[in-house]
Amino acid sequence: MSHVSHERLTADLLRPLEQTSWRFYLLVAFLGSIVAMGLGTWMYQMYMGFGMTGINMPVYWAFYITNFVFWIGISHAGTLISAILRLVNAGWRRPVTRCAEVITAFALMIGAMFPIIHLGRPWLFFWLMPYPSQRLIWPNFRSPLVWDFFAISTYLTGSLLFLFLPMIPDFALIRDRATGIRRRIYGVLALGWRGTTKQWHRLETAMQIMAIAIIPVAVSVHTIVSFDFSMAPVPMWHSTMFGPYFVAGAIFSGIAGLIIAMASLRKFLHLEAYLHPVHFENLGKLLLMMSMLWAYFIFAERLTTWFGNDTGEMNVFYVTQRGSFSPLYWTMVVCNLVIPFTILALRWLRTIAGCVVASFSVCIGMWLERFLIVVPSLSHKYLTYSWGHYRPQPVEIMITIATFAAMTLLYTLFSKFVPIISIWELKAGDHPSAALYPAPMHEHKLGETHA
Amino acid sequence: MSVYGLYDNGDAAQLAVDALRASGVTEDAITVISAEPMEDYEFGNINRRSRLWYIASAGGAAGCAGAAWLTRFTEVAWPLPTGNMPIVAWWPNLIVVFEMTMLGAILSTVAALVVTGGLARRRPALYDPAVSSGKILVGVEAPRDRAAVERALISAGSPVVSR
Amino acid sequence: MAHKWGMAIDQDRCTGCGACVTACHAENNIPTVGASQAARGRAMHWIRVERYWEGEFPDVKLKFRPVMCQQCDAAPCEPVCPTYASHHTAEGLNAQVYNRCIGTRYCANACPYNVRFFDFFNPEWPRPLDAQLNPDVSIREVGVMEKCTFCVQRITAGEIQAEAEKRGVKDGEIQPACAQSCSARAIVFGDLNDPESAVSRLARQERGTKLLEELGTLPKITYLAKQTQA
Repeated sequence: MSHVSHERLTADLLRPLEQTSWRFYLLVAFLGSIVAMGLGTWMYQMYMGFGMTGINMPVYWAFYITNFVFWIGISHAGTLISAILRLVNAGWRRPVTRCAEVITAFALMIGAMFPIIHLGRPWLFFWLMPYPSQRLIWPNFRSPLVWDFFAISTYLTGSLLFLFLPMIPDFALIRDRATGIRRRIYGVLALGWRGTTKQWHRLETAMQIMAIAIIPVAVSVHTIVSFDFSMAPVPMWHSTMFGPYFVAGAIFSGIAGLIIAMASLRKFLHLEAYLHPVHFENLGKLLLMMSMLWAYFIFAERLTTWFGNDTGEMNVFYVTQRGSFSPLYWTMVVCNLVIPFTILALRWLRTIAGCVVASFSVCIGMWLERFLIVVPSLSHKYLTYSWGHYRPQPVEIMITIATFAAMTLLYTLFSKFVPIISIWELKAGDHPSAALYPAPMHEHKLGETHA
Repeated sequence: MSVYGLYDNGDAAQLAVDALRASGVTEDAITVISAEPMEDYEFGNINRRSRLWYIASAGGAAGCAGAAWLTRFTEVAWPLPTGNMPIVAWWPNLIVVFEMTMLGAILSTVAALVVTGGLARRRPALYDPAVSSGKILVGVEAPRDRAAVERALISAGSPVVSR
Repeated sequence: MAHKWGMAIDQDRCTGCGACVTACHAENNIPTVGASQAARGRAMHWIRVERYWEGEFPDVKLKFRPVMCQQCDAAPCEPVCPTYASHHTAEGLNAQVYNRCIGTRYCANACPYNVRFFDFFNPEWPRPLDAQLNPDVSIREVGVMEKCTFCVQRITAGEIQAEAEKRGVKDGEIQPACAQSCSARAIVFGDLNDPESAVSRLARQERGTKLLEELGTLPKITYLAKQTQA
C-alpha cells in the first residue's frame, strides 16, 4: 500500500469530507424523496390498516419478510470481510474493511425495521423486549421471533461497535485538521484518542476480540432467521438444512453487495489508487465460490425433497419447478448460478465491471430466492382446500424500493462525513507487527543460493 | 509540565526512546504518540500486556449467567404452557444464552477499551496535532530531571518542545 | 378432574348446509369482510365447510368436512407466538389472547390446518347490525389474530352455572354455536376426560380419524369417516 505517500493518502481519503459537488446534493435529494415516500407509505399502511398489503389467508408472510431476510443477509458482508480477513491477517482487507462494515451496519438497521413494518400492531413491537412490564408478562423465549430480537440486537450492537472503534483514530485525524464546530464534533467522536502505544495496543486487542466474537454472532443471526421458517410445520420449511443454507446464502449476497458498493465508491470518489482490480478479483473469486456453495445447498435440498416424495412437500416442489412460480424459480437459478459462474470463472470477464454485473445478478437472484422460500410454501400447505395465492400491492412495492434507496442514501451520507477507507489501517499496513510475519527460515530466503 | 520532541520517522523515534531510557527514565514514564501503530519498531511494542482478554471472558460469563437466569426466572414466574413443551425449555433458552454471552463479551471489551485506553478522560493530556501529519511524538509528562530528558531528546535529532 | 374439551364431527351426517358457519359468525362477532376482500382470500370463517366431490353431475359423490381450530395438545401455533397470545389452558383449549397479540402472524403460518385469521381492517357493523353483536365476546381490532375458541364464553358460562348450583357440568349442557345449530347433529362437543360422554364414545369409533395426525399436533377433533355414498 505504500505506492502512495501518506500525505497523498490522507488528502485523497479526506477529500470527500472537504469537497462537495452539486451531484451529491442532487443524489441525496433524489434518494431522500424516495425514502420519504416509503415512510409515508408505511404511515398510510398503519393508518388504513394492514389490509392494504397483499397478505391473505394462507400467505401471511410475503414481501416484508422476504426483505427482512434479504437485508439481514446483505449484512453478512462486513463480518466476513472485516472480521474473518482480519483474523487471517489478509493484508488486502485494509482498504475494504470499512466499506464492508458500513454495509453491515446499515443493512442491519434496515433489515431490523421489517419485523416492525410487518406487524399487525407495530406500535407494540417493544413487547418483544424482556423488561419488567406492568402486564407482569415476559416474552416467550421459545419463539424464534424472540430469538430474532436477541440475535439481531446483539449483532447490531456488535457491528456498530466494530465499525466505530477503528473510526476513532480517523476521527482524531480529522479533528486535528478541522476548525470550529467540525473540530468540536469530531473531537467528541474521537473520544480521548491520542495515539499512544498503549492506546494502539488496546485498540488492536479489542478489535481482535471483537472479530472473534462477531463471527459466531453473524453465523447465529442468519441461522436464527432461518429458524423462523424451519420451526414451523410447513412443507419445505421444516428442513434441518436451513441454518447453514441461509448463512451461505447470506455471505453470498453480502459479497455481491460489497462488490457493488466498492465499485461505486471507486468510481464516484476517485479511489482508483486504493481499490485495485486485484481486490475485485479476490472478491470475485469468493463470489464464485459462494455461488458454487449456494448451488450445492439448493441441489441437496431439492434432491432430498424429490427423493423423499412426501406429498405436501412435492406440491411445493412442483409449483416452484414447473408450476406458477417456475418463471421466478428459473430466473433465480440463472441469476445466482449461470450468470455469475460464466462471468467469474473466465479470467478475461472477471474485471471490475464483470464483477459488478455478476453482483447485481446475484442480488436479484438472492432476493428471488428468499421470496421463493416464503410464498410458495405458505400458499401450498398441507390442506389443499385452503391453498391460496399472493399478489404484491403498491404499499409493499413502494416500501421495498424505499429500502434500497435508504441503503444508498445512508451509504452516501456516511462517505460524506467519515473517510470510507480506513486511513490509519492503510498506513499501518506499512508497519506490520513482527508477530504476523515470522522471520523466514534461512533456507527459504528468496534469491539466495548456497555455496 | 511535559517535555517532548517530534521526530520524522520511526528510526529517529527509536533513537529518542533509547536515549531516554539511557538517561534513566522508566518505561512507564515515556510517552510515544503516533498516527498509526508502529509495531515493526521496538518502541511500538512497549505496554503490550493487557487484561482485555480476561475482561472479555468475564463479560461473556456474566452475559451467560444473566441470560440463563432471565430465561429460567421469567418462564417460571408466570408459567404458560405452549405446544406441549416444558415450562423451562432449555433448548430454545440456549439460543438466548448464547446471544447474551457474546453481547456481554463485546460490551465489556469496549468498556474496558474506553477505560484502560483513557478514552473518557476529561483532563488535558500530552498531545501535539503535528502527530496527525505523520510526526512521532516522544516525551515525558512530568520529568524529574528536565535537563537530562531534554538532552536525550535533542540527541536523537529534534528541537525540544515544552508544554 | 379437569375437563378436556373435544369434538367429534360425523362426516356421514354433515349435509354442508353451512348453518354452523353462520351461527359461529353470529355468536363470536366475526365480521363479514365483503365480496372483494373475500375474493382476495381474507374471509374470516372460524369454521369453514370444505367441500370435496368426485365425478360429473349427475353422478357426483360429495363429501363435506367442517374444519375449525383443532385445539391441538401439541399445537405448533403456541410456542412460536412471541407474546404468549397463543397458549394452552388447563382445560386443553388453545387460547388466543387478543390483548397480547401484536400481529406477527407466525401462529397462522405454523398452523397446518389454516384455521387462524387476521384482522386486516377494523371491523364495521353499520347500524342496525351492531344490535346483533354478542356482548359476551370482545370485538377484535385491526392487527390481531383470531380463531375458533370452542365458544369459550359458553364453556365458562356453563361451568360458572354448574358451580353455582354445586354440581358438575352435564354432558351436552355446553354447546358451542356450531354444535347447537347443526341441523343434522353432526357436531358433538363434550369432555374427553369423561369416558362416558357422547364425544368420548364417538371418538372411540373405528371410523374415527384425526386430521393431519402424522404431523404430531395431537388434535382433539375426531372426524368420523363417511360411510354412505351419496
